[in-house]
Amino acid sequence: MAERRVTRRQILKATGAAGVAATAPWWLVKTSHAQRAKKIVFWHVPNFTPLADELQKQQVYEFAKQAGVKESEVEYATVANEQVQPKLAAAIEAGNPPDVMRLYESNVQFYAAGGHLLDVHDIVEKMRREPKGIFESAMASVVYKGRAMGVPLAVNPWPVHARLDLLEQARLEYPKTWDEFIETSKKIQSPPRLYAFGMSLGLAEDTTDNVMNLLWCYGGKMVEADDKTVVMNSPGNLAGVKVIEAMFKTHKIIPPGSISWDNSGNNKAYQSRQAAFVMNPSSIYAYLNGNDQDLQKVTGLFPVPAGPKGTVNQIDTWAYGAFKKNPYPELARGLLDYFMQPANYDRIIQSTGGRWVPVYKRLFESPFWTSKPEFKHFIKMAETGVPVSYAGSPTAAAGEVLNTHVIPKMIQRVLVENWEAARALDECHKKIVEIYTRTAKG
Amino acid sequence: MGLPAESTEAYHHGVLVRAPTLSRRPRGSLRLRREARLAYALLTPTLLVVLFLVAYPFFSAMYLSLQNKMVGSPGRFVGLENYVELLRDEVFLRTAWNSVVYTLVAVAIKFVLGLTMALILDQSRRFNNLFRTLLFLPWAVPVVIVSLNWRWIFDDLSGFLNNFLITFHLTHDIISWLSDPRLAMGCVIAVVVWAGTPFYAMTFLAGLQAIPKELYEAAEIDGASIVQQFVFVTAPRLRTIFVTTVMLSTIWTATNLQFVLILTRGGPASRTQIFPHLAYEIALGARRLGMGAAVSLVFFPLLVVLIILLTRRMLRERED
Amino acid sequence: MASVVRTRRLLKWVGNGLLVVLLVWTLVPFYWMIATSLKKDREIYGFEATLIPRHPSLDSYRRLFATTPFVKYMRNSTIIAVSTTLASLVFGSLGAYALARLRFPGRSVIARGLIFTYLVPPSLLFIPLFAVMSVLSLIDTREGLILAYLGFTVPFCTWLLLGYFRSVPLELEEAALVDGCSRLSALVRVILPMSLPALAVVAFFSFTQAWNEFLYANVFTNSVEVRTITTGLTLFIVEDVFFWGPMMGAACLASIPPLVVYLAFQRWVVKGLTLGAVKG
Repeated sequence: MAERRVTRRQILKATGAAGVAATAPWWLVKTSHAQRAKKIVFWHVPNFTPLADELQKQQVYEFAKQAGVKESEVEYATVANEQVQPKLAAAIEAGNPPDVMRLYESNVQFYAAGGHLLDVHDIVEKMRREPKGIFESAMASVVYKGRAMGVPLAVNPWPVHARLDLLEQARLEYPKTWDEFIETSKKIQSPPRLYAFGMSLGLAEDTTDNVMNLLWCYGGKMVEADDKTVVMNSPGNLAGVKVIEAMFKTHKIIPPGSISWDNSGNNKAYQSRQAAFVMNPSSIYAYLNGNDQDLQKVTGLFPVPAGPKGTVNQIDTWAYGAFKKNPYPELARGLLDYFMQPANYDRIIQSTGGRWVPVYKRLFESPFWTSKPEFKHFIKMAETGVPVSYAGSPTAAAGEVLNTHVIPKMIQRVLVENWEAARALDECHKKIVEIYTRTAKG
Repeated sequence: MGLPAESTEAYHHGVLVRAPTLSRRPRGSLRLRREARLAYALLTPTLLVVLFLVAYPFFSAMYLSLQNKMVGSPGRFVGLENYVELLRDEVFLRTAWNSVVYTLVAVAIKFVLGLTMALILDQSRRFNNLFRTLLFLPWAVPVVIVSLNWRWIFDDLSGFLNNFLITFHLTHDIISWLSDPRLAMGCVIAVVVWAGTPFYAMTFLAGLQAIPKELYEAAEIDGASIVQQFVFVTAPRLRTIFVTTVMLSTIWTATNLQFVLILTRGGPASRTQIFPHLAYEIALGARRLGMGAAVSLVFFPLLVVLIILLTRRMLRERED
Repeated sequence: MASVVRTRRLLKWVGNGLLVVLLVWTLVPFYWMIATSLKKDREIYGFEATLIPRHPSLDSYRRLFATTPFVKYMRNSTIIAVSTTLASLVFGSLGAYALARLRFPGRSVIARGLIFTYLVPPSLLFIPLFAVMSVLSLIDTREGLILAYLGFTVPFCTWLLLGYFRSVPLELEEAALVDGCSRLSALVRVILPMSLPALAVVAFFSFTQAWNEFLYANVFTNSVEVRTITTGLTLFIVEDVFFWGPMMGAACLASIPPLVVYLAFQRWVVKGLTLGAVKG
């Protein structure tokens, strides 16, 4: 009878089947990837104005047409800023990244270090050969091991947005130093409706930016120019942190809620007329341009006040990256070249209403930039500005420090948990050393 | 994950009880084999789904947790190194403590509030159906929306709470709901409770309505007080519902990422840092996938143990 | 006796009071969401922010329909949620029937295993799952997203239905089998009609899960033709500015379909839960 012979052979069969079934997903997943139907995959991170978004989209399709690529072969997707990180991580891991997208600061070096980006040195060299060239300050974030791995697209200074009307009412000038800044602040504020300084102190990227910029003025910095020697526990940093602590606890010129702000917190405080000063890229200015021109009229953009060690201004750099895992690298490179042709490029920059400073110096001479007093300081800021990772460059390690909010956690130790500034800086120093050492090991 | 905290929860203790089978008469093994073949055929879609969409990703995450792996770079096998580093980290203890407090307190409040809601709705009253519908509304709102909306309510400068309190002169200073280390966790829990209570109320109400009224009448004749009626008639009949509701709610509360991600990102000063968010921060912020997986998994056995204990104990009590 | 009556009357009044408190607690956030969506920016931000919109306007909604692919997102969400629901019902019923009524090796392991699939946090699964999806060429497709959602709806539906199916009396099914019905037709003709409330519960759960999900939708899809409404909300976060008005408008509208489904199924849901709770 059939049933008697259930024995070994059938058990083997069953085990085999179960084994295949259990490991099938693994084998399938490990085998080759499907053929790609699209020739250009572009991920678009929204700009400040719908007009700029529209122009950018047009340019992608214009280029495609020129290059003989059908419209159906173009994938144009919009990815909100906050969602870039998870989407890109998953896509890279699955070997399925977009061909071209805009990358923020340290992302260029991070993905270049992983070997994921196309070398675009020639495109950047061509840009530098344009009359008057480009702002060289942008190169810090795109150059990896001597080669440009991203195409810098804009330099964003971080000016202080200041309420001119409040200063005028109090018959005060925009403060030159941080000491003056504190005095001025105390005079023009009227909490809880109006706090003077909308400093970002939450677990957000803006906090690292705001805090570091102030520390620089006191002679502090995160890491030396060698990108190895972490100097978080320096006297300069200590002095700076104490100033922030005094602003928050003693002078009370920072709204207490800023501890839970995200990147939008300082924007919101300023837009709602609840803060007189904020340090932010000109996204606030661009927002006002489109949504609240009354406030825009009384908004000045100024350099950061000076500390004992002078004044330093932050810039951040946006760059296009082209991913290597792409059967059509020439199309990706062609697209980048097309974007950066000065005529095409200038149209987009101007449509963002002052959000981005053009990377080509020559374009800065257009009336759009020269006619407005607000932009008076911009060219100097763009020329001399430093990245948040100063004195180091925006490496992968610096990116991790920024993304995991190491600096904001340090400042919250002081402001929320009342730690001694030195102790908090010490803890922070160790953490950053750990990150830099681990990243160096690879 | 953008699931409503509780809408994914339902309950049934069926799995824990032996299944009845058709007919007691002895069967030939041929018939049994046919039955088994049919059973596997019917289960194929479910098993495929579980295999590809749950088991495979789960085991690769486990494997991932044994590697030193950054986004976009090949991993290096390091054994239990990630776990060792994690257990040594001061952040781990704090996160574990927060996670436990957050889960237990939220579940306890949801339980009490849900039971209250159910008992109230079980009283006879005009428009009770309308009230029930209104009270259960939060159940249907996506967690992403719940969290964003509450963040806007808690907003220090423009939010409903501060505006309300200041307009009615209940306070003249800004209360920094999400920034104050004493308030932040409470605020997060409040949101979790708001979103999750209706599910408890719904299941408890279903249980209450299924208790025959005669039992109460009989108890009343025996002279039982209202409290005694609740303890001896109501509670024993709801016990199974209590167990399953609490069990599922615990799982979903403990593994939910969205609330904390949108409301506080673990701040201020790590006061609301819980495992799902720490894992997210490490895996995507620091882009350390291996370490991120380890953080996710380290909480897993704790949950498993909790659930086994909970179901065992409560069911045994029922049998006594 | 008298004291019980008196206590009951007292409890009624306590109940009325608590009911008011609970209603306020539940409804105020809804109010704030709707109020915000009806305000213009000036009224949204700051202390000029009003508790009651002073100049209510549908501007946010106009912006929503005129300048964003909101309608498409709603359509995608509907297609995806409905398909997920149907597939979960079919797969769940088949699997639950096997587990409830058939004898085969591995039955109890599978039945117990289902609950543990819930313990696995999705924030852990999405990267390996992305790899599965790209092998199957399902990235950026509605089918892919539906499949991903089946990963958490199917075990759940199976598990829930399993309990209900067991509460259906065996005799009815045996009678059908004696009459010459096959197993499958016994399932369709006898068990399913008796489990309608349970199916309603399961349908509602699957629908809301698929509708409300955010992480997978965000990571697995890119194009406007596929993305769902929860991911659409992120459109109102541009760099570091939130556009709260339109975002809350979108949030209000996006909450309506699950509410409608909930209202439609409401009676069934409570009944379904009652049945299972008592008989299980």
